[in-house]
Amino acid sequence: MNFGNLALKNLWRRPVRTGLTVLGVALAVAVAVSLGGFNLGYKRAISNSIERLGFQVMIMAKGCPYEAATMMLKGGTGLLYLPEDTKAKIETDASVSSITPIFVGVAEKEASSIRDDAAKSFAIVNGIERESFVTMKPWVRFQGGAGYDGGRWFSDTAETEIVLGFEVAEYEQRKVGDDFYMTVTPNGAVAPVQHKFKVVGVLERTGSQDDGGVFVPLKTAQKLFGRANELTIVGVKLKEFSGVKLREFEGRWLKLPEVQVVSLEQVKGTLVSLVGTAQAMIAAVALIAVVVAAIGVMNSIVMSVYERTGEIGVMKAVGASRADIFRLVWLETLLLCVVAGAAGCLLAVVGSGAVEGVIRRLIDLGVSDSLVLITPALLGAAMLGAVVLGLVTGIWPAWRAASLHPVEAIREGE
Amino acid sequence: MNLFLRTTALLAAPLALVSPAFAAIGCTLSNPAADLKYLYPEMTSYREEVRELPRMKDGAAHYEKLRERAGPLDAIYEAYDTPYTLYSVFKGDARIGYVHGVNVPGKGGVIQLFVAAEPDTAKVRTLFFQRLESPAGKALRDKAFRARFTGLTLADFYKHDYYAVAAPDSPADPLAKVLLPPPNLPADGAADFASSMRGLRKNLLLLDIFAFDLRHEPFFEKSREALAARAKPAEAPATRPTSN
Repeated sequence: MNFGNLALKNLWRRPVRTGLTVLGVALAVAVAVSLGGFNLGYKRAISNSIERLGFQVMIMAKGCPYEAATMMLKGGTGLLYLPEDTKAKIETDASVSSITPIFVGVAEKEASSIRDDAAKSFAIVNGIERESFVTMKPWVRFQGGAGYDGGRWFSDTAETEIVLGFEVAEYEQRKVGDDFYMTVTPNGAVAPVQHKFKVVGVLERTGSQDDGGVFVPLKTAQKLFGRANELTIVGVKLKEFSGVKLREFEGRWLKLPEVQVVSLEQVKGTLVSLVGTAQAMIAAVALIAVVVAAIGVMNSIVMSVYERTGEIGVMKAVGASRADIFRLVWLETLLLCVVAGAAGCLLAVVGSGAVEGVIRRLIDLGVSDSLVLITPALLGAAMLGAVVLGLVTGIWPAWRAASLHPVEAIREGE
Repeated sequence: MNLFLRTTALLAAPLALVSPAFAAIGCTLSNPAADLKYLYPEMTSYREEVRELPRMKDGAAHYEKLRERAGPLDAIYEAYDTPYTLYSVFKGDARIGYVHGVNVPGKGGVIQLFVAAEPDTAKVRTLFFQRLESPAGKALRDKAFRARFTGLTLADFYKHDYYAVAAPDSPADPLAKVLLPPPNLPADGAADFASSMRGLRKNLLLLDIFAFDLRHEPFFEKSREALAARAKPAEAPATRPTSN
């Protein structure tokens, strides 16, 4: 007896019921895979965003570490500044591999609303020390091609040269050689001052906060904002990075009254924990969906067994053993769940873009990478889950069918 | 096998639909509901439609027209696949206006120029800048300057094309005074004034395609024919053989 064919035929007898049961399980699997993919993708996106900062530790003025995390991942300014000599002091630490000072300021962009002529948007201005910045971020490259060829960094003393992040160039429609206007209100002044820069380079897309910023020499940025000898952060890469080394480093530098040492591992943990509670709630919803789907499968197969009571009796009367009947019904359940699992996986892969769009619309997660990462391992786990679901939910209906007495079953089925 | 291939193709089709495509930057209102209500206080609802030339019948021909009539288009930032957003404004069931914006590269950054147009006459109701960072910003955003453009249509630009060649300074040119720089325009703002005027023309050309079913095309043809007719007698002697 070919059990596979027989099981398929039995399922096909009631295509609507089978289809609806498959749909229920497929949706539950799709939800579970999407959420698993989101969990993996979000962690990866956070890691990538943080790694693309180039440094492992930020030295910044004392304040809220959450603000620090957001500032570095999304851009922004600190309310407090560090004295510039902080860099020189920390540079003496033997555990430092490389170090870069950064001044972050916000320039106004005029007329960003039709309703209010005074309304402004902004541009994130990064004042950088070119050499140490490039050492810290060796992957940063200049965009090439028509309009972008010849991109280069400015000299550290250039006062009117600017390098644009990819998104700024795209949004402002700038190319190498174009002018770029920014309006800055210097510290202590009332009137904003418009400045004209020459675009000397446009960076390739990095997928980090650098895409949305503009870069000028550190001294130029300090001068523009009227904050000579002040820094927003000092980025540090340690020769050896571990929890112990970091604590030792922190211990040495927290003695400075004005600074806090923020490890980007801490930042990563903070960002991941921010969505942890939401993830737990969503996982609970997914679990409920799987349980409901399991009940649906069991109900569907039990109904099928009820309808075929007479037929099962005849099968037993002509020689089918209890094991044969058990195996047949169990196989039907398994097939149903495997097909539903495959459909659910496909649905999750296809729908992951939509899921990501919805998540991004609901929550500003502060990362630019794709948030849903559906790996072969995740799909394998989902399929394994579907098989287990099939095996578990099939036991009771299969046992019930196998336990039918042939004569009573034939009589019941008439 | 065929069934397998068909099934695979069917299952893979949605993947093609969700695959990412290069996204050219379009021009949308920052806050459509509030911005449109500001422009049309009587508005009760609005509709937002994205229009892309590659998805339109004759899209390539329209793009060529745009290139021919608005001047050279930037290959990167005014590309063929740039999406445009057309806002239709309604009072009850009646459409009371169209609002459409374009990006044009300015001297020191992008210029986002919007036009609100009357749906029946295609006349400009309001011209406004959503983004304009320029030494010319104050002069160009000035209400009196922008009011010059109220009531104009694309047909006026086509007529101007004729008069600019055939009879400069003619009082019959509907744009003779309109296209003059604002009086308080600083010297370093001339480039952004020119870009803005180009942006206005580009905006009206696109509105004619997206909303007005090319209703101003006869004016373009007439202007072109008049210019061609005017050029012929002048060209004729030059083509005659000369005898030495």
